[in-house]
Amino acid sequence: MSRQSLAARTGDRIAVSLAYGVIGLGLAFLAIPLAITCLMAFDARTYLGPLPPPALSLHWFERLVSQADILTSLRTSLILAVLTTVLSVTVGTAAAVGLARGNFPGKAALTSAFLSPLIVPPVVIGFGLLLFLSKAGITNGMARLLLGHVIVTLPYCIRTSLASLLGSDQRLTEAAMVLGATERQAFWTITLPLMRTGVVTGAIFAFAISIDDVSISLFLSDPSATTLPVTLVSNMRAAFDLTIAAAAVVLIAVTALLIVVLDRVVGFDTVVGQGLFRS
Amino acid sequence: MTKAKRQPVAISIPDRRDAALTLGPALLVFAFGFLSPLINLAIESLKEFTPGRVGSVENAAATVQNYYELANQAFASVLMTTFWIGGVAAIIGQLVAFPLAYFIVRRISPRMRALTLGFLITLVLSSVLIKTYAIELTFGSVGIFRPLLLTLGFSPNSREYINIVVTAGLVHSIIPVATLTLIGAMQSIDPRLLDAAQSLGAPGWKAHLSITLPLSFPALISSTLVSLTFAISAFVIPMVLGRGRVLFISNVIYTRFSDIANYPSGAAISLVMLAAALAVVAVITFAQAWKVSR
Repeated sequence: MSRQSLAARTGDRIAVSLAYGVIGLGLAFLAIPLAITCLMAFDARTYLGPLPPPALSLHWFERLVSQADILTSLRTSLILAVLTTVLSVTVGTAAAVGLARGNFPGKAALTSAFLSPLIVPPVVIGFGLLLFLSKAGITNGMARLLLGHVIVTLPYCIRTSLASLLGSDQRLTEAAMVLGATERQAFWTITLPLMRTGVVTGAIFAFAISIDDVSISLFLSDPSATTLPVTLVSNMRAAFDLTIAAAAVVLIAVTALLIVVLDRVVGFDTVVGQGLFRS
Repeated sequence: MTKAKRQPVAISIPDRRDAALTLGPALLVFAFGFLSPLINLAIESLKEFTPGRVGSVENAAATVQNYYELANQAFASVLMTTFWIGGVAAIIGQLVAFPLAYFIVRRISPRMRALTLGFLITLVLSSVLIKTYAIELTFGSVGIFRPLLLTLGFSPNSREYINIVVTAGLVHSIIPVATLTLIGAMQSIDPRLLDAAQSLGAPGWKAHLSITLPLSFPALISSTLVSLTFAISAFVIPMVLGRGRVLFISNVIYTRFSDIANYPSGAAISLVMLAAALAVVAVITFAQAWKVSR
């Protein structure tokens, strides 16, 4: 018996160290490349050299902001992300209200149809939109990009708004109306505030997805409207230097800011509960 | 007041006008920005391609030539690469995500848990471009570890090494998403079951094999398949890390568009890719139905 429990304990010890080894390696694999990127962005050398940098400087950041195409595309990206977020959240919230409160046949089918852009590879959406919009005669780069971004962010906005609407107590809205509120007053003062978490989560997702997207924007960008990630990809393929590391530091900072907002307003557990897959 | 007269307060959409107002915009965006392009893609894939032209000729003859041409060695090897590397990355991702998810749910303090979750969510929401660049800078052929690689006798330009770097890029994106997916399932496993097994004499590792693993198996299957869908539709990761030597299906679509402007062939490949993605989603749906029925 004691020999058996000794064997069991040895087995446990091996299993536990194995599991901790895998976890440690995994976390290191996730963190180290990003840490190296952030460190190298401050490298004082003018070329890409081995670790560690002999001295630190901000000259890669200076080079980054001195590039006209980067600044123009950053502006395009920010405008596009704001427009996408506003449009997606408005259309998505309205649709969620319609889906949750409406009574009509085919509601379930319509809900999954609205979510279906999530399962189509982004490249297929981008290429399909390019062909279709060219045929339809829509050549404005910004309009094309906006439509492409709204298509992929709308499902997230609908899903998060719908989830918080279905999770909130309908009787509160009923109570407001029993007490004399009109349908419209009840919507603005009760229903919409109850959907707040879902709407905010959807907005953060929409902004983050829009500002990061490459797969769709690469097809829909044109010389008049190019997004930052598209410019960065072409720079990355042309010359591999550390200006992109500097851009990465800026983008990581923006994302971290979004995450803090997300945690303060919604809390991580809500986000984890809803799942976060995205391709 | 009789019972029959007690009507629920009317908070459902009272008339068609409101339904049109709430659902109309989304329907419009969906029909114009998603459905029509997909239908157009299907039509385009059946058009004859004239080399030297951008796009197909108006009223071009209908043909299945574009699909027929895909039945060759080159495209088959692209399909193979996509599914092989994608599959390996999906499985490696689960091997890390599974213990990590368990660790986060059961083994750490709330403070550390929030910190780890914040890190993982930051990774999920941060640009795929940043992650790809970070991987290239660290492990790539001109990266920081180049001297180390050469010392160890690896050629950073060999096809094998590029395969490994592309897999690493995919795994880097898969681990956070898979972990967050698995956390949900782990949270619903009653920890007392493990205690019971161990107090009945099972060693810890055996208790996990017979309790934690089976109970989270359905979630593990769907997490693997979600990771696989992500991997096979990946675009930026193989484009940057593969350096033109490792091509995924999406990279071929982009080449058809940007290099030779063969839109009908690009459309045919898009439909093949869509079919592959839908097949994986069908398996996920089946796995979830199986999970519910158990």
